[in-house]
Amino acid sequence: MTNATLNAPAVPSRASKAKAPSSSAAAGRKILVSSWLIVAVVAAWWFGSANSTNFFIPSLESILEALVRDLGNGVIISGAWYSLSNLFVGLALAAFFGICGGLLLGEVPLLLKIVDPIIHFFRAVPQAALVPMIIGVFGMGQGPKMGTIAFACMWPILLNTIDGILGIEPTVRKFSKVYRIPRGLHFRRVILPGATPQIVAGIRVALPIGITVMVVSEMFASIEGLGFYILNSSATFKVPETWAGALLVGVIGYIISILFVLVEKRILRWYHASGAQ
Amino acid sequence: MTTQAPVETTMETKPLLMKVRGMSMSYGAGPAENKILENLDLDVEYGQFISIVGPSGVGKTTLLRCLSGLLKPKAGTIEVSGTKINGPHPDLAVVFQDYSRSLMPWMTTRENVAFPLQGKGIGKAERNKLADEHLAAVGLEGQGGKFPWEMSGGMQQRVAIARALAYNAKVLLMDEPFASVDAQTRFDLEDLVLDLQHKLGVTILLVTHDIDEALYLADKVVVIAEKPATVVDEIVTGFGETRDQLATKADPRFTEARARILVRLRQD
Repeated sequence: MTNATLNAPAVPSRASKAKAPSSSAAAGRKILVSSWLIVAVVAAWWFGSANSTNFFIPSLESILEALVRDLGNGVIISGAWYSLSNLFVGLALAAFFGICGGLLLGEVPLLLKIVDPIIHFFRAVPQAALVPMIIGVFGMGQGPKMGTIAFACMWPILLNTIDGILGIEPTVRKFSKVYRIPRGLHFRRVILPGATPQIVAGIRVALPIGITVMVVSEMFASIEGLGFYILNSSATFKVPETWAGALLVGVIGYIISILFVLVEKRILRWYHASGAQ
Repeated sequence: MTTQAPVETTMETKPLLMKVRGMSMSYGAGPAENKILENLDLDVEYGQFISIVGPSGVGKTTLLRCLSGLLKPKAGTIEVSGTKINGPHPDLAVVFQDYSRSLMPWMTTRENVAFPLQGKGIGKAERNKLADEHLAAVGLEGQGGKFPWEMSGGMQQRVAIARALAYNAKVLLMDEPFASVDAQTRFDLEDLVLDLQHKLGVTILLVTHDIDEALYLADKVVVIAEKPATVVDEIVTGFGETRDQLATKADPRFTEARARILVRLRQD
């Protein structure tokens, strides 16, 4: 008994002492693990393409030169601004309609049964295939592009919201009934937060779809945006610019998804910390 | 609406808070009808602690859902303070079996307790004050800022009890509330509930399959059995207000009552 009590403090202190340096070392290792391949790929690209004689495979150096030049003279900046504003307005509309529609369909089973086949049909259509039709019908302004992005991004958000609603713990619903929580309050404080993990996952799925449709929509009857920049430089045989545009879209997509993960961690702290997943 | 409790024709000394008459419940219809409860009567007096005990699967949870208004009985009436109820009622609060499912992980414990009060239209300052008071009453003083998932199972169930008490219902319906915690925590929670009942004068109806728990807590134990389930025995315990996990359970009346219930349940 006394022995155990005497020994007791020694154990955790040794453990915590060993933990401190190992956790910073672990953090360093983690950065190394996730970054060495990127460095290696960039290096391989740089040196592998340095003496390229193939017209369609420019050197990374020339790609970056084109990128820096067109960023500097504003050509890309205005294009990116145009593209990103389409993307964000489209995503916002998709989130609004997807979440509202999902809440409605999740709460009204009969309605879900009726529209379920339609939802799955539209979800199965490759969204980029709809771009020529929508732009053909609604014209070439910024509005139809936003609309196309919204339409494409809405489906995963809608479906995930429905899943989230249907997955809400039945006991929580019973609680709301027994404690006579008014409808609006029940929706705002019980149903919506309960479905938020799935809603957020739906938006995460919608992000790359939105970026794809954003680029494709600017390749049709458009004189602006990153899609137009890529298509136009390709059509005028400015190959390094074509590559630069594609690279930039990739980097933008990557940054958006990282920012999204940060926001998600904040919103869903309870979800990740409670181990509810 | 009646203005006062109706006069009872039976010989009860205290007025009845809750009166159940001829309650039946079944799922399905026709030849496939699955009868769960049949012709069940129940009297609950003000301030009484009633345990409903019965074997697993007898229909205890169905009974509690009918009483709480979550299910509509196929026949019979439920009255609270002389008024027939037809669905959830502000005089009834439920403590669910599974605290980890009935507390909302996106709310702090204070918000969890205050939330039903918000539904009642109580202002923010007032409901937070009430929540803190009731958290303190269940031994969780100053823990309102924590989230349920930062707490142990026993503490979470305390939060659920605080939530039910803060709702200020006349009757607390508890559905196997201590089934998911370890034995020591269970004893602590049992004593906590007894203590709260005496302090606050709340009436409690607790459903359990544990005969010892039913006897230890209750003023009256109602035994339900058979299929469809009905009341097969009622035992007034008479242990008084002060109970002790060791002494009360060693009381000859306790062992006698336990044997009586066991024999009765074994007949099925």
